[in-house]
Amino acid sequence: MKNSMKILFIVTLTISAIFVAGCLQSKQTPETSAPINLVKMSGQEMIQKLGTGEISGFIMWEPYPAIAVTKGLGRNLILSGNIWKDHPCCVVAYDEDWYKATNNSDEILKRMALVQLKSVEYINNAKQSDSKDHDELINFTMQFGAMTDPVAANMSLADVEFVYNTNVPGATTFIQKIQDFGIFVPEKWNQSGYKNASDYANSLVTNNYVDWAINNKDANLSDISLKEPVTVRYGYLINDIHELPFYVGWQKGYYKDLGINISIGEGAPFQNGAFEMQKGFKANTIDIGSLGIPPVIIHRINSNDFSNDDARVGVIAGMNNEGSVIVVASNITSLKDLSGKTVGFPGPGTIQHVLFLMAADKEGLKVSY
Amino acid sequence: MKIDPGKKELLINLLSLVGFVLLWQTVLILTREGIFSIPFIRLRDIPTPVETWHALLGSMFTHIYGPALTYGIYNHVFASLERVIEGGIIAFIIGVPVGIGVGYSKLIGNIFNPIIEIVRNMPPMAWIPIAIFIFVSGGSIFIVFIGVVFPIILNTIQGVRSTDERLLDAARTLGASESMIVTKVVIPSAFPSIMTGLRIGLGVGWMAIVAAEMVIRSPVGLGYFIWNMGDLGRYAEMIAGMIVIGVIGYMMNISILLLQRRFIKWAD
Repeated sequence: MKNSMKILFIVTLTISAIFVAGCLQSKQTPETSAPINLVKMSGQEMIQKLGTGEISGFIMWEPYPAIAVTKGLGRNLILSGNIWKDHPCCVVAYDEDWYKATNNSDEILKRMALVQLKSVEYINNAKQSDSKDHDELINFTMQFGAMTDPVAANMSLADVEFVYNTNVPGATTFIQKIQDFGIFVPEKWNQSGYKNASDYANSLVTNNYVDWAINNKDANLSDISLKEPVTVRYGYLINDIHELPFYVGWQKGYYKDLGINISIGEGAPFQNGAFEMQKGFKANTIDIGSLGIPPVIIHRINSNDFSNDDARVGVIAGMNNEGSVIVVASNITSLKDLSGKTVGFPGPGTIQHVLFLMAADKEGLKVSY
Repeated sequence: MKIDPGKKELLINLLSLVGFVLLWQTVLILTREGIFSIPFIRLRDIPTPVETWHALLGSMFTHIYGPALTYGIYNHVFASLERVIEGGIIAFIIGVPVGIGVGYSKLIGNIFNPIIEIVRNMPPMAWIPIAIFIFVSGGSIFIVFIGVVFPIILNTIQGVRSTDERLLDAARTLGASESMIVTKVVIPSAFPSIMTGLRIGLGVGWMAIVAAEMVIRSPVGLGYFIWNMGDLGRYAEMIAGMIVIGVIGYMMNISILLLQRRFIKWAD
């Protein structure tokens, strides 16, 4: 018994020594200003906590910023387009396992890209307040974003740039950022065999489908419909206005017209892109889905089992550029004011996370989480 | 050769730990070589002990990546421990008097028992959603409190009720007042039991804090750490965090046991 006491004593001593060393080390790091504390939470929590003053701001996808602003809880500090002009955001991606197991997957993906194109054209046209489709679009927006206020719906639409082209240079820059932030597991990155960011981006994105869609954009949908209708299990993010083109295509019947039945995948809508990658694509519960490009980039490396590539996905079309906002309480006038304060974000490795890091970097601010 | 029984015990304990780590490594190597698999479980995604060890060392201290400051595990340990200790102290201050009252007086017992019996069956995790809504801050401390207070109350009641009747009679015969009986006889006699309650309670509180930190948001805490690492697909760091949770829980248990042995000499 005496010996076990001694060992226990030594173990305790060692652990305390590690802690003390850690404290000393953290003391040595130069502290210019208190870091901004990023805390992961859902969009609903952000709005609620901004109202109670528990957080001083948040960065989130639309419609949450528009809802917070129209409720008078906060105001827009920085639009994400001002952090990085035309930054890529949500994309349409497919599961590689599904692609291999399906005979006509190329034909399906071409039509998925065409729906994206059609929906984006519809939205960009109906966005104008004098368009005859404007009221319908506002209804779609309120339904998909779980909004009750048409003013908020209009505001959220204005912040988002809906697209169907994939932004390869943008993806390359994101990959570089994620690498610089040390988010990739080094062994996994080595296993992937990609030489550099642009190598990875080119392997991730395929432009053929959008090219086909552009060539067929004026065709009658029923003329180019799949001969045998197929069912696709689709995944998307909860109440994310960026993915409105999906909802529009679904509600307007574009998918159906092209012979694609949408069935909502198990677990969808997802809380964030990391979930969609891990519980959706990797777990094979969805075939095609929309999500932010950073979770795609991160989890195709970090969560992938390279022996069977279970988390391998491909990007076929864009969904939107820009469209996220840093919203702050009324007493905050600049990013610097957030130093030492708590800010909500949708989770590590999301587009909003990367954008916030970029904004902080510009101001020389540290962020902790 | 004769090995003394204490040493033998320790040796077996050590071998068991080493054996477990070896088994873990072997199973994963076999899985990764494609020799072994279990349906419906992605064994390949589990990091090996070696990878976990590297992740533990790599994430023990605070790092700066570009503008991002990632708190080291030790920060999360302190944050979680602080919450458990605060919740534990509040639970102790409230739980012990309630336990003594209920255990000693039939009337107080009848008043409190129905409430205690129902509320103690609501697990701490069931309180998390309501804690999010009603607490502006300190929700996680409240969850710990819920976890710790009932083991303390129940063990205190039991300790009070098992006070030796002869001691009580002796005190009464010698003319001790009720308050003297409680402070000089009942509490000392119930103390070992109270400490057991504290030990069990802190164990429950430690489990509750990790769950609470996953749901109630704050920038630091072990529960938050492992959840965040999962979001980034950094599974080795996740397992490292889990091991730290286990080791700290074990050390908390052992240290209270040691305190109990050292300071409560009259227990045996």
